[in-house]
Amino acid sequence: MGDVKLIIDGTEVSGPSGMTILEAANETDINIPTLCHRPDLKPEGNCRICVVEVEGSPRLVASCHTPITEGMVINTCTPKALAARKTVVELLIAGHTGPCVTDECAKDCELHYLAAELEVGPPRFQVKARRSYPMETLSPYVQRDMGRCILCRRCVRACTEIAKKNVFSMAYRGFHSKVVVDCDVPLDKEECRDCGICIDYCPTSALTKPNKGVS
Amino acid sequence: MPEKKILTKNCGKIDPGDVSTYEAEGGFKALEKTLRISPEEVIAEVKASGLRGRGGAGFPCGAKWELARKSKGDEKVLICNADEGEVGTFKDRYLLQHDPFSLMEGMAIAGYAIGAGKGYIYLRSEYHYLLEGLQKAIDQSKEKGYLKDLEIEIREGAGAYICGEESALMNSIEGKRGESRFRPPFPPESGLFEKPTIINNVETLVNVPHIIQNGSEWYGAMGTDESKGTKLFCVSGDVARPGVYEMELGCDLKELVMDLAGAKEIKMIQVGGSTGGIIPSDMLSTPLAYETILGSGAVMVFDQTRDVVDFTYRTMEFLNEESCGKCTPCREGTEVMVGVLGRLVNGEGVDGDMEVLEELSDTMKLSALCGLGQTAPVPVLDTLKYFRKDYENRISQSVFLRSLKTVNG
Ligand SMILES: Cc1cc2nc3c(=O)[nH]c(=O)nc-3n(C[C@H](O)[C@H](O)[C@H](O)COP(=O)(O)O)c2cc1C
Ligand code: SF4
Ligand code: FES
Repeated sequence: MGDVKLIIDGTEVSGPSGMTILEAANETDINIPTLCHRPDLKPEGNCRICVVEVEGSPRLVASCHTPITEGMVINTCTPKALAARKTVVELLIAGHTGPCVTDECAKDCELHYLAAELEVGPPRFQVKARRSYPMETLSPYVQRDMGRCILCRRCVRACTEIAKKNVFSMAYRGFHSKVVVDCDVPLDKEECRDCGICIDYCPTSALTKPNKGVS
Repeated sequence: MPEKKILTKNCGKIDPGDVSTYEAEGGFKALEKTLRISPEEVIAEVKASGLRGRGGAGFPCGAKWELARKSKGDEKVLICNADEGEVGTFKDRYLLQHDPFSLMEGMAIAGYAIGAGKGYIYLRSEYHYLLEGLQKAIDQSKEKGYLKDLEIEIREGAGAYICGEESALMNSIEGKRGESRFRPPFPPESGLFEKPTIINNVETLVNVPHIIQNGSEWYGAMGTDESKGTKLFCVSGDVARPGVYEMELGCDLKELVMDLAGAKEIKMIQVGGSTGGIIPSDMLSTPLAYETILGSGAVMVFDQTRDVVDFTYRTMEFLNEESCGKCTPCREGTEVMVGVLGRLVNGEGVDGDMEVLEELSDTMKLSALCGLGQTAPVPVLDTLKYFRKDYENRISQSVFLRSLKTVNG
């Protein structure tokens, strides 16, 4: 309990200043779906799944990085917010070359769960060419299939912030943005050992342990 | 309403390579006046004038400065946004080229008001040829003692449209990938290198000496209720006399493009650049102001020979190419839109294409991280609103073409 008071879905909530909307909601057991955010990583706000409606704001607000302010009135499940979340999931599904729905590893895919939770229907959107890259199998510790990547950048942050290795970074722009190693070479680096942290943080099957994931 | 030359009064008159010619026109008098009053009084004057940002978003300038002034922090930063990446915008170049000293004076006053010791000019890479002249203007102003408290450094961009967006611009200066940051915190609270930062467009800063010199009352007498002063308009496209026109805000679009620039047989006009709104020919008597339509001041005229769907496709191709790639709605949304519009242009449209564009637009407008993704759907929605028939025709043509193919096997 803290000094900033606000209302989330009709319930009065309070928290210390600096707390995010997502944290405040979680404390009162209000569930807001997230994808790019993890409680132990710095928020980045790139996926836009966690958007909510804040009274007085013309746009939706991402709850994972927006701090609470006194008197805020937040609604997490309005038709606008739900429609935006659904569209975002559909867009992510449309853009990547995932094994979704049919394949085994879809069972572990967070995107797949989200699609089910948000009741995403048949695909409305189509891209000219889905992202597709050759499988990277050089490293004995991490196998990368970047066509399955949904650009949440959790691996980048986990490697930097938790493993303190900085193996990954972002390259290219727009739709062609990609998580890369050095100047976009297949992963095979001295620093990268068997910590496996990036694999744990990857929501899809883009990063797997060699021979264990589906290859 | 004829042209009203205030910001451009020195252009063509002074020698942009010689500070004494600027002084001879009364230059740096406003700075002298500034230094005799307190920073708070300067901010109050700018606030009272009603000056709003000329970079596109139109945020009240004085209010922004006040936030930075009140922010805690020993070091504060002033950035002049000279990235001018908006399609069809070339007013900042005109000012930088013909009167760089007005910008020096504006920056010196802004620096004093917010308490910044360090200033940057973020220069568009395509304006590399202006670098030397600009550096000379800094050096000469410094020699004369006008920049005692503000050290100005020029930083060049590398050709990305998104780096004109304030948070991506700061990332770029910091040496990071040019992509947007989430807000809050807003720059006046925590900006460049986490220091309180003010980012203003070139034209905004060039307004400041005139406000200080002549007073907010004089300034406030020009324009409309919510749009004070004059504005530089960049007229381009199907016109006889393209160029920069300085007009009082609230002026008539028709007068600007037809009487002054000599446009004929207009089909539509895009105001504000690639993400700007569309004005069809039967709405030409729209006043140009923040209340109605303005953006960066780009006014691109399209005549009857132009195709609306082609135009929308090309615009979306640009925005898709320039999306930074950080957030889903813009990165994936513009890609899907380019696909749909591209099919329409190539005669491969299907029923439901317009609905897909509209549904995507909603999500992008509401949930994209920065201004690019939030406003990318504007030309799509506006053309769908005013030229829906053009889209319908494209789709029925596509259906017809496909039926021929089936018949012929
Ligand atoms: C995609 C994008 C591109 C932008 N490009 C520019 C630009 O080239 N020049 C500019 O002054 N402002 C640009 N802006 C607006 C800036 O983010 C910012 O609002 C402005 O520099 C603030 O200055 P002002 O208040 O003086 O207008 C851009 C905004 C967006 C979203
Ligand atoms: S709206 Fe586009 S440009 Fe802005 S953060 Fe999102 S991807 Fe980047
Ligand atoms: S979880 Fe908040 S933007 Fe991704």
